Amino acid sequence: MTDDILQLESVTMTWDAGEGGGRTVLDGVDLNLARGEAVSLVGRSGSGKSTLLHVAAGIAVPTTGSVRLAGHDLTASSEEARTRLRRDHVGLVFQFFHLLPHLSLRENVAVPGWIAGDDRARTGHRADELLARVGLGDRAGDAVGKLSGGEMQRVALCRALLRGPALVLADEPTGSLDDRTGREVMDLLLEMTRAEGGALLYVTHSPELAARADRTWRLVDGRLLPGAAA
Amino acid sequence: MISYLRRGLLQHLRHSRTLLALTVLGVALGVASVVAIQTLNQGSLLAFDGSVRAISGQADLSVTGTLPTFPESLLPTVLGDADVTAAWPLIRANVAVSGRPDLNLDVVGFDVFAPVRYPLQSAAATQADPFSSLHDALVQPGWVAITPELSAQEGWKVGDVIRVSSGSRALELTVGALVDFRRFEPLAPRRLAVMDIAQAQEMFGRPGRIQQIDIVLRKGADAPTVAVRLQAAVGPGVRVQTPEQRRQDASQLLAAFRLNLTALSLISVFVGVFLVLTAVQASLVRRRHEFGLLRSLGATRAQVMGLVLGEAAALGVLGVVLGVPLGWLAARHNLQTVSATLTSIYVTEGIDKLTLPPLVIALGAAVGLLGALGGALLPAWDLARRDPLRLLSPLSVHEAAGRAAGRLALAAAALAVGGSLWFFTAGHELRLGGFLYGLVMLLALPLLVPLLVRSVCGLARPGGFGFALSLRNLLARLQATGFAVAALAITVSMMFGITILVGSFRQTLVTWLDVTIRADIYISSESWQRTGNDAYLDPALLETLRSWPGVVSLEEQRRLRVLAVDGRPVWLNGLRLTDRPLPGVPQADMAGRLPLMAGEPHAAVAALRSGSVLIGEPLARKAHLGVGDTLRLAGPAGEVALPIAGVSYDYTSEGGTAFVNLDVLNARFDAAPPNNAALFLAPGTDVEATVDALKNALAGRPLVIRSNRTLRSEVLAVFDQTFAVTRTLQAMALLIAALGVSVTLLIQAHERAGELALLRALGATRRQVFGLFLGEGTAMGALGLLLGLGGGIGLAALLILVINRTWFGWTIRPAWPGATLGLQAVVVLAVAALAAVYPASRARLARPGQLTRDDL
Repeated sequence: MTDDILQLESVTMTWDAGEGGGRTVLDGVDLNLARGEAVSLVGRSGSGKSTLLHVAAGIAVPTTGSVRLAGHDLTASSEEARTRLRRDHVGLVFQFFHLLPHLSLRENVAVPGWIAGDDRARTGHRADELLARVGLGDRAGDAVGKLSGGEMQRVALCRALLRGPALVLADEPTGSLDDRTGREVMDLLLEMTRAEGGALLYVTHSPELAARADRTWRLVDGRLLPGAAA
Repeated sequence: MISYLRRGLLQHLRHSRTLLALTVLGVALGVASVVAIQTLNQGSLLAFDGSVRAISGQADLSVTGTLPTFPESLLPTVLGDADVTAAWPLIRANVAVSGRPDLNLDVVGFDVFAPVRYPLQSAAATQADPFSSLHDALVQPGWVAITPELSAQEGWKVGDVIRVSSGSRALELTVGALVDFRRFEPLAPRRLAVMDIAQAQEMFGRPGRIQQIDIVLRKGADAPTVAVRLQAAVGPGVRVQTPEQRRQDASQLLAAFRLNLTALSLISVFVGVFLVLTAVQASLVRRRHEFGLLRSLGATRAQVMGLVLGEAAALGVLGVVLGVPLGWLAARHNLQTVSATLTSIYVTEGIDKLTLPPLVIALGAAVGLLGALGGALLPAWDLARRDPLRLLSPLSVHEAAGRAAGRLALAAAALAVGGSLWFFTAGHELRLGGFLYGLVMLLALPLLVPLLVRSVCGLARPGGFGFALSLRNLLARLQATGFAVAALAITVSMMFGITILVGSFRQTLVTWLDVTIRADIYISSESWQRTGNDAYLDPALLETLRSWPGVVSLEEQRRLRVLAVDGRPVWLNGLRLTDRPLPGVPQADMAGRLPLMAGEPHAAVAALRSGSVLIGEPLARKAHLGVGDTLRLAGPAGEVALPIAGVSYDYTSEGGTAFVNLDVLNARFDAAPPNNAALFLAPGTDVEATVDALKNALAGRPLVIRSNRTLRSEVLAVFDQTFAVTRTLQAMALLIAALGVSVTLLIQAHERAGELALLRALGATRRQVFGLFLGEGTAMGALGLLLGLGGGIGLAALLILVINRTWFGWTIRPAWPGATLGLQAVVVLAVAALAAVYPASRARLARPGQLTRDDL
């Protein structure tokens, strides 16, 4: 039994390219992520970063290799079981926020709690508390359409942390934001994830933001290499 | 542009097969309801027409009596007219076939040597001895010729004996020949039989009496002019009419019945329009970039609009192609019940052959095409008016309806107020006023949907992944979901409106039966229900009944169809009442049995005995008559004026019904035995045992002997059968509305792929996504129910208080059939949920990895 929340061993992912051919997106990837650790992932567009996050979240199943999340073997789990594992252990942050436009800030944050069937009142309080921590407490009842990009990402961050996940996966969380806002959001992401005791694996194109993680990995042609790009 | 339209259509068909199939099915069901009802409506008219043509097809004029029969001595007067080249008498009797409660024969007695072409003569001409049939017809007792269709249906061959009855008389007919009326008239009734007129007069107890004289005029003679001249010559006891006038009479008899069914079927089309609207709008939202590009490349607004309408027209054509045969099948499915209703209430000719007239096909096609184009018009116009840049930019259409909710509700209120003002000041005087008022109200209903959805769904506070979230999702996509809710609301309005009407009517009828059906046992003959006029009970039978152990009183009733002086048909009921108080039998007190709406019961009974008349409510309303007025009827020797002593609630006929003393009827019109007898039994007598004893004692007589309880249940069964066809229409409308739910959610499953992928990424299971959509379907059902309940109550009020009184003339006391409405509400919710199953099963397939940057 290790303290790793996420373990990827010899993970290979090959997309069917038709006519019997295939394109290897991940090629023998090994990756461990300990509880409370922050790891950044860099690489060129199309290098497989998002695919790696999908595999880690149980959204995609690797062609070969194994993925263990919170001690559970995702590759041996059914789709239903992977969904439940993701719901209970993973928080997701997307580049384009993906908030539901017809729900208020508080409701957007509460969605994972609704999905999990958590206590309604406790979920609401937790959402309010997180929103207050990101400076949006007084706007919890507003519609998301009125928010700026940075504010939207802060709401998305709250949503990812609502259920205190052991692992937060963030796919270019600052990719749609200007530098200053991006830095602010990254500060919050690192600070809050650490405060919640979760591990963080995030994808970024920014060497500066990547350097703020405990470790940085590079994806080059599907292979995972240590350290930031030169 | 045409080739672009064709390619666009084919591409659309490939990508949205299910959506298109559901939309086409919705249009088809709308077309089907109209085609079914119009086929049945036409069938009812053609049945009468076929009967007239088969018997009097060669006549230029017909003489018929204001009473069922008139003396044959009028024939020489008719023949004496210079323009009459031929005239021949007819007599008709509707007889019941023994042991076959569902089979009656329309026996026509005619002069076999009449100088006109008749099928019998044609049949005879093909035989080796052409005169043998004619000879047999004259000399062989009970000789009758039947149609080949009836022969095949019943397995009757030449030489077979058919046992029939007319009133309480049992008769025997012998099949002497087959006559093919359909060679001359394709719609001739199957159950037509012909015999020699002298035999018929003898057999049916009408010596010297005839029912009709058919006339052929000299070539070039003007039929209407001759009709007027002949009318003066033959006097007031008969009417001289052209065949067209007779058809118009039948058409008017059925007008209310036909119009109500037509209006109900059009509601299905209205519901179908919303389905098309939903589908076309979704298609346009999806293809807005394509149209933006076309506009950028120089396509005009008219061309873009033409493209959209062209696609909608193609949908309409497919809907018509499917809907016409569907409608035909629905008509066939309802043929028996509608035919039974017609013969129970309106005419003697049931529909035994359905045809699909080209006019009905054309009507179905017009309804399908116009419905599809009507549904596409709004989104097409909305698309065409936008500039190319807006079409090419991301579009958020869903807020529009929400923002306009207040304005749309105001428009609904304006429509309702305007419609009400118009109706109560001027519209109520128009015969179609009630229908137009109803149409305005139904048009206002959908305009309330955005406000309702916003008000109800806005209250939803999702605290979990459940129904409240489904409600919020509906609100978020109001522009799309609103149409499905509107379609459901209209359908529910129709369902509830009819159910409240029928429930109220039934309850009113039960109350009326409680008051009027008080005797213990009722006796009539097997042929009475169809003929009424001449299904007599013989005097010896009445004596037997009167002296039967336990019988303390026998009341006689005779029903005779007469004409008012204005030509209005009136069923005149002659009653011979118990003329003394019956100790221990308070229910026999006549004053207590009169459901009077105007007049005082005891005074009315006294007036009835002294020659006055009570009239039924429909006659009072339609002829504008009341207590103190005079009912003027056409008697055999001129006008018969009867003072009106009371107006009674009456549900036996939507036409005129009047009640007089039987002696007055016999004296002022023509004397004949009664058709019905009602027995009051001594207190303590076992009614059912007496019924059984009478049946045993009178076995073999063509009588219908029923206890009070049986008669009531049979009356209610006829009532229920009358409304059976409305259930088919309700089901079709509900099916179309359900398709609207399916189409809407199917579109949602496609358009919300990003949202669903996000939910799945956040941990929602497939089952939860399925449940979310199921909840949205159910929520649409619930919202449709909520609005439809209000619409249904309004529609019921309109049907009960306005349309029913105008067209039928009945007072119906509003009742609340709670159990039936509750059941229907459950059915609506279940159907809406079921309609969501397929889209939900598609939505659940959303994959969490599907999220793209454009989503949400």
